Amino acid sequence: MGKILIVDDTLFMRTLIKNILFTGGHSIAGEAGDGEEAIAKYKELKPDLVTMDIVMPKMNGIEALKGIKAIDPAAKIIMCTAVGQEQMVKLAIKSGAKGYIVKPFQAPKVLEEVKNVLAS
Amino acid sequence: MSEFEAYRGLFVAESRENHEMLVKNMLILEKGGSQTAIDEIFRSIHTLKGASASMGFMEMERLCHTMEDVFQMIRSGSAVISAELNNLLLACSDIIELMLDDVEGGGDSSSVNPDEQVKALKQWLSKNTGKPVEEVTKPAVKQSKATAEKIKEIVDDTDRPRYSVTIKVADDCAMKDIRALLAIGNLESLGTILSFNPSREVIDEGEFEGTLQLKIASDVGEDALKTAATGTDIASVEIAPAAEEEPVPTTETSDDAKPEKADTKQQSAGQDKNREIKHLRVDITQLDHIMNLVEDLVINRGRLKQIAEQNKIKEMDEAIGMVDRSVSDLQNLMMNIRMIPLNHIFNRLPRVVRDVAQYDGKDVEFVIEGGETELDRSVMDGLNDPLLHLIRNAVNHGIESPEVREKAGKPGKGYVKLSAHRDRDNVIIELLDDGGGINVEKVKSKAVEKGLITKESAATMTTDQAVDLLFLPGFSTADKISDISGRGVGLDVVKRSIESLKGSIRVETNPGKGSRFELLLPPTMAIVDVMIVRINKRRLAIPISSIVEVANFKNDSTHRIGKSDAILLRDEVLEIFLLDDMMGKSEGREILIVVQYQKRKCCIAVDIVEGKQEVVVKPLSSIIGNTRGVSGITILGDGEVVPVLDVNTMV
Repeated sequence: MGKILIVDDTLFMRTLIKNILFTGGHSIAGEAGDGEEAIAKYKELKPDLVTMDIVMPKMNGIEALKGIKAIDPAAKIIMCTAVGQEQMVKLAIKSGAKGYIVKPFQAPKVLEEVKNVLAS
Repeated sequence: MSEFEAYRGLFVAESRENHEMLVKNMLILEKGGSQTAIDEIFRSIHTLKGASASMGFMEMERLCHTMEDVFQMIRSGSAVISAELNNLLLACSDIIELMLDDVEGGGDSSSVNPDEQVKALKQWLSKNTGKPVEEVTKPAVKQSKATAEKIKEIVDDTDRPRYSVTIKVADDCAMKDIRALLAIGNLESLGTILSFNPSREVIDEGEFEGTLQLKIASDVGEDALKTAATGTDIASVEIAPAAEEEPVPTTETSDDAKPEKADTKQQSAGQDKNREIKHLRVDITQLDHIMNLVEDLVINRGRLKQIAEQNKIKEMDEAIGMVDRSVSDLQNLMMNIRMIPLNHIFNRLPRVVRDVAQYDGKDVEFVIEGGETELDRSVMDGLNDPLLHLIRNAVNHGIESPEVREKAGKPGKGYVKLSAHRDRDNVIIELLDDGGGINVEKVKSKAVEKGLITKESAATMTTDQAVDLLFLPGFSTADKISDISGRGVGLDVVKRSIESLKGSIRVETNPGKGSRFELLLPPTMAIVDVMIVRINKRRLAIPISSIVEVANFKNDSTHRIGKSDAILLRDEVLEIFLLDDMMGKSEGREILIVVQYQKRKCCIAVDIVEGKQEVVVKPLSSIIGNTRGVSGITILGDGEVVPVLDVNTMV
């Protein structure tokens, strides 16, 4: 079970992901509402895994991913995506994302991806 | 659906914020806009789409998705936004608002049908996508890269064992190509991939069917490779030694013991802190209920104080002092919790201005300032409609058409400004326009025509007095009822609504240059600081906020003016109210309370001043009827019911 940082600009999505992660027995290291905050929280909390939204204010998820990877090349980051964002996700994967989950989130899929990435 | 029921409130609240941002930025875009506005719009729609899909509100998701497609194109610069498209998108945002209403009421957005809008958006897309779609496929490039891949295979002749790997991605996987890329990425970290089928480029372009075959040279062993390729949505991984058939001893490869894991346990106590919920959304009826309880506490605190004073129970003093402080803190806290920034209603107004201006063929610049000023929720609730009415009026009646403006030597674009700020006791909202101003003569003649005033009084009226006529019931200067502002509601209703909030409204007008409406509102309604006075042994409460001075009253200094008495105080002639009809005759009047409402002052003669107190003002029941001069009643600590003076209606 891992300690997870949730990054999304809406409380709604964060709550949704959080509750799914709780049911999987994970703990929440913290939450961030934009890319800049995500990097700051990553430094501070050193989570085992990050769920990263892509479209966010201030700094988007791809830039935040790169920022985190620069601090910690071993960082495990799962991108939160939606249908239609394939190109963005590919970019994220090339920049070092370890996995992705697709909205609308299905709890078993999310937990499976989290488990797999944590184990990788 | 039901599993998401708990998120409904949160969904609606956040989606409304996103919807507001959407409309706000669309209006910015219409005015010329910037890339930031486009990015913001994209983000809002994207979030709305994701959230509605998560909640299973498929109609809303469908509409947002199509809008997102449109903005994707605009964002990338492959299409520009036209006035027509902007109107269509605003219509879409209206639909979203209706859907949110539906969701808030327990629905799933399907009671609103977005077919028409979706169809129109799709038409726009098909008109505009023609070219970009063709550009996407680049077969020539693919081939050359595929050849490069083959060359790589031949060149790369390491001694490492080679395996062929077949990875099948699950049928129900979203973004199969990305799963394949992830698997490839994991394998690449363990060895050199010699060939792909289909080629990496094909996968990159998203044309991946679900089965990937590749050859890899690696010395980590079959099991490790299998583990690396296996993952979420991977249905099966088959792995076998390739051509050379060199069996590889399978050993424990991996790095199970990770230092981070030990960390996790140690820190688990600290994590609980991070899990704390910092914000709660509370049903407003619960807050109202707490507020009522606080009001009861305030009343009973007063009673306790009086009982202790009357019976001179020393021991109780300290305890009451503590209760006193707690109740005050509680009261302040509750007041703060109920405060909402005015942006809550201001944010909707740019859209209103735009619609009215467009309907009237006018060009209007609308500026909002001070939206962060806070007001009690109950005041805010009552403010929405009057404000909407005033804004519509300003654009509809105030601002002239561009031709008229240019003739008058003004810029063709009108200017309307809505601002708010907090003054000592009040929140002041100001609405300014640079339109034609109020035609005072027209107002007067209309009032005479309607029998509201006589010709004679009209002739002697000042501008201020004439403008006040606008607020008389049944008055409307517009010759015809327009669709926009003339909904049968006049300024009299606006005035009454504002007064029912214990506020006031004032107008200044400058012919040819524009008008200025000023709303004065109390930040909160329920609890008021009052001065308790006695006349003829009976008590009366006067709001402190309207008192400007307390003076000595010498009977011989009064002068008879017309029907009433007046006094000369600091070079001002002030009318004296004795309130005999309300309180009964009294001979012992020794003190004058000078009260002020806007620029007008008057004074009330009272017997004694008892003191200052915070009280809860309860509104009078409508059964009592017209109660000019009294805004409500309050119950004092000893249980006495005391009227609260409404200075606004007196002076």
